[in-house]
Amino acid sequence: MNYLLRLSLFLAILLLPAYGIAAPAPDSGVVTIVIEPMFGDQPLQLSDKQYVDNFGDTLYIDLFRFYMTDLDFGSKADTTFVLAGYSHLVDAEDKNTRSFSVKIPAGTYSSFNFTAGVDSVDNTSGANGGDLDPAMGMYWAWNTGYIMAKLEGHSNVCKTLHHAFEFHIGGYMPPYNAARNIDLSLGKEITVGSATLNKIIIKADVSKWLTTASLAKVNSIVIPGKDAAAMADNYAKMYSLDGIRHFEYPVIKQ
Amino acid sequence: MKYVVTACIGALILYCSFGFDIKPEDIRFVRPDGWPKPVYDLSKNKITVDGFKLGRKLFFDPILSRDGSTSCASCHTQWSAFTHVDHGLSHGINGLKGKRNSLTLFNLAWNKAFMWDGGINHLEVQPLGPITNPVEMGNTLENVVKKLDTAKGYRARFYLAFGDSAITGQHVLKALAQFTVMFESFNSKYDKYTRHEPGGEMTEQELHGLALFRKHCESCHNEPLFTNYSFQNVGLSLDTELKDYGRMAITQDPHDSLKFKVPSLRNVAMSYPYMHDGRFRTLLQVLDHYTNTIVQGPTLAKEFRKPMVLSPQDKTDIIEFLKTLTDKDFLFDMRFREERE
Repeated sequence: MNYLLRLSLFLAILLLPAYGIAAPAPDSGVVTIVIEPMFGDQPLQLSDKQYVDNFGDTLYIDLFRFYMTDLDFGSKADTTFVLAGYSHLVDAEDKNTRSFSVKIPAGTYSSFNFTAGVDSVDNTSGANGGDLDPAMGMYWAWNTGYIMAKLEGHSNVCKTLHHAFEFHIGGYMPPYNAARNIDLSLGKEITVGSATLNKIIIKADVSKWLTTASLAKVNSIVIPGKDAAAMADNYAKMYSLDGIRHFEYPVIKQ
Repeated sequence: MKYVVTACIGALILYCSFGFDIKPEDIRFVRPDGWPKPVYDLSKNKITVDGFKLGRKLFFDPILSRDGSTSCASCHTQWSAFTHVDHGLSHGINGLKGKRNSLTLFNLAWNKAFMWDGGINHLEVQPLGPITNPVEMGNTLENVVKKLDTAKGYRARFYLAFGDSAITGQHVLKALAQFTVMFESFNSKYDKYTRHEPGGEMTEQELHGLALFRKHCESCHNEPLFTNYSFQNVGLSLDTELKDYGRMAITQDPHDSLKFKVPSLRNVAMSYPYMHDGRFRTLLQVLDHYTNTIVQGPTLAKEFRKPMVLSPQDKTDIIEFLKTLTDKDFLFDMRFREERE
């Protein structure tokens, strides 16, 4: 136990500079969100690994990207802290996008919510920056709006060019808004403060996209509408909490 | 005297070869008296001299297209109120033809939705339509950013405009918006007439045309912007080759079948051909359509359900009135000319 504690302390100190958080104000702390792209219970491997979906069809995943926005940390005391306007694009291909850190007020938190997708304000406010820059390749030109999540791959059951399937899911106008609110209970309270680092590890299971219709039947959704909204209901189910890592590190007195 | 003349000619040559220098007073956005509040929020993209000049450079630069052949200005020339005059359907890279007639560009700050089908919801992201359309510029914004990053002079210009030499898609689009939002047209003869200014003396024929216009056209092309920004089916037959259902492609609502944006009629005499597919070459042909060849259908605008009756003289008078909407100050405004280096 002692060994483990020391190891985690060591790791925490080692990792802190990597997240670029210099010295959090005493009344706030750092939470790191880690995303683990999965297919079922295996870590997702792009392109060269064959998977089998619910319908028994074999397939390969070539691209997997999605937005996480408007983070919201809730506590039992019914107070929440909302990082409104915060936007992060996860790209399974780019390891750097699979974790990100935010600074939130010190306190105890028991839930983590976010929007899977991009809310209507960001869809109607012109040229945004950062991860919402239209140059990120997650934007429709001819019918304004963000592609909130993208899944592409190929399967022999797809009677399409190169047996490809593609799901570009978006649309912000009711009734076919594709943004989904994801509510993750943390299962316990986490303490956030100037001497802590909490990692919330979230699995994003691609196989959940492919549960309602076989790829032979539905293999292309690239415009907003009823089909996109139905697919959004599927991808809302792909998130689950994998675990929480809590690190404490000594405060260096000056 | 001789020296003065020489100096004047010299100054003129310099003036012409270096283009119009932009001063802070040249980038003041105007909301003319009596006009509604602009839709575009200028406070979120403050126009600066450097931002305007960067937008102007981008507007004229074919670097935006995949093969470096086509710029915004290729299909939007100033003297035709920034449309592609004489081209029914505009063409882009590799000589490919689009399926729609390019729209005029002015008073864009009042536009609620862009393109003939209103598919684009904001001035800043409008350029993404033509940039990415395979038959227009055939490019991606990612690639535009990459090309600009290595092109001579751009990083410095982005630094001047946005305080950051790292080129982003957002800044490309904001710069273009700073330039295009300044395309303001409010100095036509008609405007001077309504403001009781010199140069606004209308003839009897023009006034008769205005009266007819107010009776027959005003419900959609309402003053002062000469559009109500709605989408309407104006009874045009479906082109069986283009099969363009307009707004319905965006909303997927059958009630929007065959509806297209009501365009502003300012500078209309300069921006032929007409309609979303450029099928009419003259204003008379447009009026003849409204009186003679309306195709009835479930989504037809209510204004056309009963026949519109106009005599040949009425039509001539309406056209004479429409010509008073030509704004030469705007069409020849030096601020919107390409900057020469």
